[in-house]
Amino acid sequence: MADDKDVLRDVWFGRIPTCFALYQDEVTEKEAEPFYLLLPRVSYLTLVTDKVKKHFLKAVKPEDVEEMWFEYEGTPLKWHYPIGVLFDLHALNTALPWSITVHFKNFPERDLLHCLSNSVIEAHFMSCIKEADALKHKSQVINDMQKKDHKQLWMGLQNDKFDQFWAMNRKLMEYPTEEGGFRYIPFRIYQTMSDRPFIQKLFRPVSPEGHTHTLGDLLKEMYPAAIAHDGDSKRFQVLIQGIEPLLETPLQWLSEHLSHPDNFLHICILPVPTD
Amino acid sequence: MESWRCHVRTELIQRDSSQKDPYSGVFRSLFQLQEKFEIRKEIWEDLQSQSLEQDGITFVELHLWLRESEHLSKKLSQTVSDLTSVLYFKEAELQYWQSQVSRYRREALSLAGGSNTLKATLNQQEFTLERQAKELAALQKEHVRLREGMVEAWKEKGELLQRWMEEKKEEAARVNKYNDAQERWRRLARRLKKQLRGETVKPSELTETDVTSGGKEATFK
Repeated sequence: MADDKDVLRDVWFGRIPTCFALYQDEVTEKEAEPFYLLLPRVSYLTLVTDKVKKHFLKAVKPEDVEEMWFEYEGTPLKWHYPIGVLFDLHALNTALPWSITVHFKNFPERDLLHCLSNSVIEAHFMSCIKEADALKHKSQVINDMQKKDHKQLWMGLQNDKFDQFWAMNRKLMEYPTEEGGFRYIPFRIYQTMSDRPFIQKLFRPVSPEGHTHTLGDLLKEMYPAAIAHDGDSKRFQVLIQGIEPLLETPLQWLSEHLSHPDNFLHICILPVPTD
Repeated sequence: MESWRCHVRTELIQRDSSQKDPYSGVFRSLFQLQEKFEIRKEIWEDLQSQSLEQDGITFVELHLWLRESEHLSKKLSQTVSDLTSVLYFKEAELQYWQSQVSRYRREALSLAGGSNTLKATLNQQEFTLERQAKELAALQKEHVRLREGMVEAWKEKGELLQRWMEEKKEEAARVNKYNDAQERWRRLARRLKKQLRGETVKPSELTETDVTSGGKEATFK
């Protein structure tokens, strides 16, 4: 359906205006101007910040340069979460552009994974895709693909090529018509109010009686507090790709259209802002 | 379009109009200016190191123009290569959709075949059902008729039983009457015997024969 393809395009081309600034204590050579970049929501921080690194390296003494990492208002940003998820979780209700602080020293070993090259991001990305396909098709689709097909998925993401990526990802989104959906929906529920990184459990797109499961059904089972009951005021925002879909949206459709390139549906639950 | 689908589309447009659209133009211009600045800075440094003196500004301008053209042509060739790869993917996509169309066509054909078979079975079942309904109606009619016959037979049986009972009653009355007569005859005979014993002449055999023939006649009545 043409409208659904537009949704895929909107998801892929979602951008977040960002202003990168070097951490004040690390400026040594000369004052570094902030660096502005439109970050793709579906990509990873360390994959799209080569220019940021190049820009700020001029202001730092070579002997002070360690691994680059990012922080927003004191929270180290996990590069292995999609950029859109990081923004929705930490900065959705703040003024744009998103202000990220760049560090070259004091890497927070307890909070972040190391990412010394793009091959680390590639390995993480491919492992997510494989995990998602294990849930959706018992790994049959990803195992049937050739090495070059895997490469095409990765290159599509790395070079921000929608057509290249979707030419292959389409196969990962297919399912037998008679089954009405995937075996299980690959999803992760993130919340800012908990130390737990995310909730991930098995959930089918169709009930044993043959009814289509919706986003509301998923939340009822995984995070009942996120659903406002009659008369109660809304306490939580449920965000996917920076938007709040209706609770009656079928989960299968959401998984096919609002998933990230890693094939997971990343759902952020935030308390409703009080002001 | 379903309301939830429409809602997602609208929300995505709203998201981009608040997050992406107001900044993309500014960011693109800034990026282009930065790029231009980098190139010019590089050229300026090159020129300074070569310390060229002849024709001063004209040469610098020409050199700038040349480098910018080179940069643009590099960008254009990149765009051409991007477009070629897009074309390649579109062709692949077209092939994929064509294969999907033929797959669905095959599926539709097999479903149509299945539907025809089911239709034929349904017709057959309808015919059987109709025949069985007719048989049932006939059996029900027969059943009603037999039931009526049975009621009639029961009634007849009752009447016959009644008649038989009455007959038996009459028969019992006749037997009783006969027995009474017999009793009377016996008593009479005893009396006559007594009288006869008292007399000298005994014509007893003749009298007894008459009594016996009189009893038989009563039975036939």
